[in-house]
Amino acid sequence: MSGDSPGPESGRGSEPSIGHAGGLEIGRRALTSPATVATAIVLIVPFALGWLRTELFSPLALPGYVIYSIGTAIGNAIAPRFEFWVYWVPFVGGCYGIAVGVGTVYEWVRARRDAGDDGTEANRSHSPPGNSDD
Amino acid sequence: MRRRSALAAVTTLAGTAIAGVVSRPGGNDRLLAAAREGSDDVTTETTQLLPETVHETTLYELTAPDPGPTVMVFGGIHGDERNGIEAAHDATEWGPDAGQLVVVPETDRVAVENDERGGIDGDLNRHFPAGEEPTSDLARGIWDAVERYDPDVVLDLHRSLGIYGFHREYVGQALFHSADAHAHGRAIADALTADAIPWYLPFHRFTPQESTAGGPLLFQKAAAELDATAYLFETTAFLLNHATMTEQSRLVTAHVLAAHGGLEYDTGIGVAGTGEPEQESETEPDGGTSA
Repeated sequence: MSGDSPGPESGRGSEPSIGHAGGLEIGRRALTSPATVATAIVLIVPFALGWLRTELFSPLALPGYVIYSIGTAIGNAIAPRFEFWVYWVPFVGGCYGIAVGVGTVYEWVRARRDAGDDGTEANRSHSPPGNSDD
Repeated sequence: MRRRSALAAVTTLAGTAIAGVVSRPGGNDRLLAAAREGSDDVTTETTQLLPETVHETTLYELTAPDPGPTVMVFGGIHGDERNGIEAAHDATEWGPDAGQLVVVPETDRVAVENDERGGIDGDLNRHFPAGEEPTSDLARGIWDAVERYDPDVVLDLHRSLGIYGFHREYVGQALFHSADAHAHGRAIADALTADAIPWYLPFHRFTPQESTAGGPLLFQKAAAELDATAYLFETTAFLLNHATMTEQSRLVTAHVLAAHGGLEYDTGIGVAGTGEPEQESETEPDGGTSA
């Protein structure tokens, strides 16, 4: 961040730039990103194990437990006669939505980092160490 | 990417299994062991309520050699709430250290056999209006037994489908109590939470709640007409399996028995009249020692 302006007009030189097409690509990749899959697993699997057998509830189930429980509380207030298993559908959908959000951030950071590596590697190799922040 | 996803899945599963084993709450085996062992000289008698009728059901009377409170426990007022039925059956083999433990595990036997909430005359727990005659033959038979024993403490075991104060329609994970049991109700609910609810299931913590007087429920009638300290316990089927609900029902039975002096076991709750939690001792009518 030494002397470079972070404005978009200067981004082409040394700052990573993600255009409209890049954004779409990030969105597409986020649907099946490792971060998306991992987040969905973390939210759903531990909670599902506890749902199948109470003894298998663990601290890892807490995020899914909170999401599912709050979902049923809201649902029960709106439509009291639904049985609670019905809420698995919105729960899984909601967890995937959250996971895609996390995956999007992950892919965006990765794309930014890759773009940054491409644009600044040559300059960085000529800079004397320790002078960049002076 | 696939390898990484697979690795993440396997790691999560392994972590779940390990964390589940390590952080599972311990229950309260010592309290239940104390309830099961109890005094060696306990005598057990059985009586048939409403004999030679379709409602005929067994009442168990466990009498300890030392004087103490009479505690009545009811399971199966709703026939499909198996946790209370099993816990009450379990309690028929306990050994109180003082007083009498009177247990009716299958209060509405027809409902229990049909595995339905209500029996021949519908929901039994709406047949006990305070200040009036019970409104069905079964309710009259049950109430006759309650009047005969004139219990100091009544505990009625139930199960809901949701959580009290969280799911608007339901009353689970709550201990409803009569007006004279504020300190005990809160202390027992806290003890149950400590024994049975892990920190990562925060919505399942037990809530103590004073019950409105004058309703048509058995424990309300016992409180209103016999001055009994009365509790109605509700666990929940929301995310809890049958074994867990039954264990919670056992624990509340043991805690109530211990809290009122039927078990020589220091639960930290205190025996009625000797160890009330300080904060509310002045408001407890049975506080005795200093209030």
